[in-house]
Amino acid sequence: MAAFILLSTTACSRPAAENADSSAATQLSPSDAVSTRTVTDDIGRQITIPASVRRVISLAPSVTESIFAIGAGDRLVGDTTYCNYPEEAKAVAKVGDTLNPNIETIVALKPDVVFVSGASQLETFTNTLDRNRIAVYVINPESLDEVVESLDRLAEILGTENAAKTLSDKIGRKRVEIGEKVGTYLAEDPSEEAYEKRVGVRRVFVQISREPLFTIGKNSFLNQLIYEAGGKSVTADVDSAFPKLSKETALALDPDVIILSDSPDNQGPSEVFVNSSAVKNKRVYKINADIISRPGPRLIDALEQIAKDLHPEKFHD
Amino acid sequence: MFLIAVLAAAVALASIFGSERLSFFDLSDQQRSILFDIRLPRVFLAACVGASLAAAGAGLQALLRNPLAEPYLLGVSNGAALGTMLAFVLFENLEYSRPVMAFAGAAAATFVVYQMAKGRAGMTVERLVLSGVIVTTFLSSVIVLFTSILDAAKLRSFTFWLLGDLSQATKNGAILCLIAAVIGTVVLASQARGLNLMMIGERDALDFGVEVSRVRLLVFGAGALLVGASVAASGSVGYVGLVVPHLVRMATGSDNRSVIPFSAIAGAAFVVLADLVARTAIAPRELPVGAITALIGAPVFIFLLRRN
Repeated sequence: MAAFILLSTTACSRPAAENADSSAATQLSPSDAVSTRTVTDDIGRQITIPASVRRVISLAPSVTESIFAIGAGDRLVGDTTYCNYPEEAKAVAKVGDTLNPNIETIVALKPDVVFVSGASQLETFTNTLDRNRIAVYVINPESLDEVVESLDRLAEILGTENAAKTLSDKIGRKRVEIGEKVGTYLAEDPSEEAYEKRVGVRRVFVQISREPLFTIGKNSFLNQLIYEAGGKSVTADVDSAFPKLSKETALALDPDVIILSDSPDNQGPSEVFVNSSAVKNKRVYKINADIISRPGPRLIDALEQIAKDLHPEKFHD
Repeated sequence: MFLIAVLAAAVALASIFGSERLSFFDLSDQQRSILFDIRLPRVFLAACVGASLAAAGAGLQALLRNPLAEPYLLGVSNGAALGTMLAFVLFENLEYSRPVMAFAGAAAATFVVYQMAKGRAGMTVERLVLSGVIVTTFLSSVIVLFTSILDAAKLRSFTFWLLGDLSQATKNGAILCLIAAVIGTVVLASQARGLNLMMIGERDALDFGVEVSRVRLLVFGAGALLVGASVAASGSVGYVGLVVPHLVRMATGSDNRSVIPFSAIAGAAFVVLADLVARTAIAPRELPVGAITALIGAPVFIFLLRRN
């Protein structure tokens, strides 16, 4: 399954992006600011934005990372206190945190577009922003494919298509490289069983917090990422994205590998894993909590690190 | 006797059922570990927490002659919660920092309430309840203030704990809570006669030779111990201290010599069963036990109010 998705994204080229020039934005003088265009966001809303977008606000760390990654960081006039990457993001004016943005600060910054990551954020302030003619754009990728796609759409809005193309090509190449090492490709038999046998899939438990014990469930985008890295989340059939898991079940799962989301309250595996294969074989790894929780451009780094943790023997260099 | 049978049945049920099915006649090493390291300590802790909260509730209701008196109303719970929160923030790595800080918080809150209530004209029940409410709301604000400056990762575990969570049960924690439950309940029960007389009126009690201030001090101290230990172990498990003593009083009358110990037993059974629901309802996920006790407790309490 993962192999299919990989090929489809890397093979796809975008002629439209080639033609568009990043200088298009700068050619417009202030008097042209009234000219507008219509774009569609992630939940299918039609949004009218100025033809030239000069000032944007991001209310999600993942979106902030994406905006910087496609070379439009200079357009970002406001972000949240959670936005800590790249380093420049910290210097951008703060408009509050993701859940409690300050509407007055947002309006005062006069943005053309405000990017939010969840539909739930919308209701709180769409009306107020509408009245001030500020567009709200929902951008919420839920897989590495959608991240790449979201970079393109962000670039279209911000007029940095070339930089975005370079970035998504780089991500695509890296993905292929990792896939070749792990054995995601070579799919003569595309069935899941064949994949798991060929790759030597590891049974992975992702521990989000130690006490209480939180993990990832059915709705987490990490399931697919782990699969692509040659693993399988042992909690992939548990409801919700970040379930609190019964310790009895956790003990019975006996994972091969434990991945710890690196945060102060999560520095070691839960004591229920004392006798698990993962702990016995010292297969416990930490991973930066930000890169596995934000559907942004660094998801590719998460993929690489998880693949290395799961299959160290396949990464010699 | 009936209550002990109910408690035994509750404990048996809670030991048999969980998110994992165990073959009791042929336990593998893994299943043994699930049963003895995870499930039983948790059932045991649930029983201790339930007993502590219900006994503390019964004691405080008798002392204050107020059927609404509860650890929550008097600031005791919030004191314990704030203490635990400080332990979360300041001494994250010390094993016993949470129970110790919770008890310190509960005791400090109790002391403040007690001092505030002691006016020039002596202590009245109204003053006590009023002081309790003021201290409770003040401590709530401090907790809210802290949660808004706490970093996200710590906040998550704290929020969950605040809703009542027994998943962090360990053998040592359960034993600590048991010791507190036994000492607290015995102290409360030993003051039952004094409390009975004080329920008629404090002047009458004085005439009968009851040392009213001593009874007050002991009941408050035992309450702080019971509540501190259970809040540290499981967060805020609501309604136990309110509903259980009421039900017991309805069944046995209001003699505190029976109400206090019976409340402890019934409270233990109640929380053990509520936690069984919390563990199994959406397994392998878990619900906060405090939500279950409140879901059962609130309607029962409304029913009781309407009947009287």
